[in-house]
Amino acid sequence: MDRPGPPAPIECTGLSRLFDGSILAVDGIDITFAAGRTTALLGPSGCGKSTLLRLIAGLEEPTAGQVRIAGEPPAALCRQGGLSIAFQDPCLLPWLTVAKNVALGRKLARQAPDPQGVDQIINLVGLGGFQNARPASLSGGMRQRAAIARALITRPRVLLLDEPFGALDALTRRQLAQDLPPLWQDQAATTLLVTHSVDEAVMLAHRIVILSPRPARVVADIAVPLPQPRNPESPAFRRIVGEILAQLARGGEMAQSLAAQ
Amino acid sequence: MTPAARWTGPAALLVLWQGLALAGGGWLLAGPSEVAGWLWSNPGLTTRAVAVTLANATCGFVLGNGAAIGLAVIAALWPRAQNLVAGLALVVFCLPLIATGPILRVLMGPGEGPQIVLAALAVYYTTLIPMLAGLRAIPSAWLDLVQSYGRGRWAELVHVRARASLPYLLAGLQISAPAAILGAMVGEFTGAERGLGVLTIRFTRDLDIPALWSMGVVAAGLSIAVYAAIGWAGRRVLPGTPPVILAPPRLIRGSPARRLADTALLAAAALTLWWAGIELLGLNPFFVKRPPDVAAAFFGSPDTRAALLDAAAKTLALAVPGYLAGLALGAGLAVLLSLRPGLAGLMVPLAVALRSIPIVTTAPLVVMLLGRGAAGTVTLVALMVFFPTFVACQQGLRQAPGPILDLFRSHASGPGRQMLHVRIPAMLPALFASARMSVPAAILAATVAEWLATGRGLGNLMALSASVSDYTMLWLAMVAVTLISAMIYGGIAWAERRVLLVMAPEQVRP
Repeated sequence: MDRPGPPAPIECTGLSRLFDGSILAVDGIDITFAAGRTTALLGPSGCGKSTLLRLIAGLEEPTAGQVRIAGEPPAALCRQGGLSIAFQDPCLLPWLTVAKNVALGRKLARQAPDPQGVDQIINLVGLGGFQNARPASLSGGMRQRAAIARALITRPRVLLLDEPFGALDALTRRQLAQDLPPLWQDQAATTLLVTHSVDEAVMLAHRIVILSPRPARVVADIAVPLPQPRNPESPAFRRIVGEILAQLARGGEMAQSLAAQ
Repeated sequence: MTPAARWTGPAALLVLWQGLALAGGGWLLAGPSEVAGWLWSNPGLTTRAVAVTLANATCGFVLGNGAAIGLAVIAALWPRAQNLVAGLALVVFCLPLIATGPILRVLMGPGEGPQIVLAALAVYYTTLIPMLAGLRAIPSAWLDLVQSYGRGRWAELVHVRARASLPYLLAGLQISAPAAILGAMVGEFTGAERGLGVLTIRFTRDLDIPALWSMGVVAAGLSIAVYAAIGWAGRRVLPGTPPVILAPPRLIRGSPARRLADTALLAAAALTLWWAGIELLGLNPFFVKRPPDVAAAFFGSPDTRAALLDAAAKTLALAVPGYLAGLALGAGLAVLLSLRPGLAGLMVPLAVALRSIPIVTTAPLVVMLLGRGAAGTVTLVALMVFFPTFVACQQGLRQAPGPILDLFRSHASGPGRQMLHVRIPAMLPALFASARMSVPAAILAATVAEWLATGRGLGNLMALSASVSDYTMLWLAMVAVTLISAMIYGGIAWAERRVLLVMAPEQVRP
């Protein structure tokens, strides 16, 4: 599989976004994400995490500040097909088969067709044998697997994951969180993962950024120095989870909602 | 519905029809046996007429729907153009066929041109509106997906919107198939040489009752056949339930000032197209009047103005009650059938038959049966509005949210209360959509009745002006009818927004 380029660093400076002229969703964020690393963005619902992700994807224009990916505006990377995003909703086109939905990623990224690559990635995400199935006949977890396959098929330089397991039941969620991350970790794209789950963040990320309730500001920035694969029962893992929950507790109500999960 | 139940309704109708014909003693009412006899003894005449009408309707169907798809695609690629495209399309849709017919005839000569153009004019709007809705009826996340690869509106159209709009396109094509037949027949009325419309005019003059009823039956059969054929083809292409076309195209709304500017832009664009079209095509100024000619006739001559306003008042006095009666009957029958589903077997075929008989063949018959007074015209307008309203309201009643109905059932609320509090509010968007779309149809029905039968109002004024070559008056009447239709349409759209903001806000929000 050809690749549009090496993992790209992301730099946000003074990034703000106002909605309807008065609702501040993101407030003056300065942050840099190193190339090839996975960062989890943690914060309560509606805190502006998704807006931050959309700003980085170029789906929203900032009201102030700027985003630079490998020194260029996001649109430049998007046009090269170097960015993939997976949403909480799998966003599969209902009239296309799984294989064609995955191939659509390459088509939209203006990459040459690669039927073998498509077949391979579908097998890797665990959908082997469902190439010709349509989304309506798949379960929620299977659809999300197909959506991740579509995001990975272009071998993106930046991978944005907006609560990719958020709409799934707890069992499916655990299974997917176990099966899929190794795939994108292999690709070593610069990955941003928006999530509500502290365990998921500590499990997957090199670094965890905690955001405040709206407007989103950076509250804490925590490195996770554990080697992969990580054991969620290990004392080191639990210590980091505890540290994050303590950080979140300063947000009061926010911590309750997170600890409840 | 079991196969047996499906055929009881039509069979009962046939028996009823034959009974009425026998009771009437052959006066103005020809029964199925007489119709069959007439068709049996005139096979060549009928087949040739059907072939001509069907060919013209097909050409118009292709042209009109092609234009509709093109306009919808322009609006999808360039959203700022949508208000203007929809507005201009509405203005053209409101043009009275009775005035455009003779003008096209003098411009295009005695061939098939006017029939084809009128068929195209009759179909494009009912395809454009669902297409505009279909091209936008997609989750915004799909568009985010396309945008995240740095792709623009063209890629959105090719990869997402085109396929998503297909069910809407097929639904629009199905509705427009019988309309194409109607448009071709109106064209034939304006002085064609061959076709079903020509025969209908001839038999009306001769008062040949069995022949006239045979034309009605053939035209109705043809309309039902093309409606069913497109429906069948659509289901072959796209298995699954067709979409419910309720929501109006979401106009890009703004402040009152912005809306005023939009209206002014629309008026300017319409006038420019009208005037520039005449100059560019080099049309004969005797037949084709420019905006200043029409304005001068209206403001310069009190007699002309008085004649026009008098005719408009007479037309509206009958069109408005007929229109309201059609809406009430359509919504009422849909509610009744929802409460008493057993009646559907009898009522639905009757509704389909009433709708499918092209207005141009029904008009003389209805007016003959009910007289030249108000009753005939009002009935005809009501019939024209009734069927689309009935179908839309039936779909609307099914939109009632299941969980809320369950809530009512859990409180042991009967069907009546569910109807009043859940189903009827859920039906309102459909009722309004149908009320809007039916305005030009109601005006068409009223003017056709006036033209062919009652000899009064705007329809008569247009027919008279065409026959004495008073093209200034014809254009004036055409502009008046278009303005009246567009203003009533706008008024209903305004009321619709007001009501739906309270009753169904999800339909109105951008």
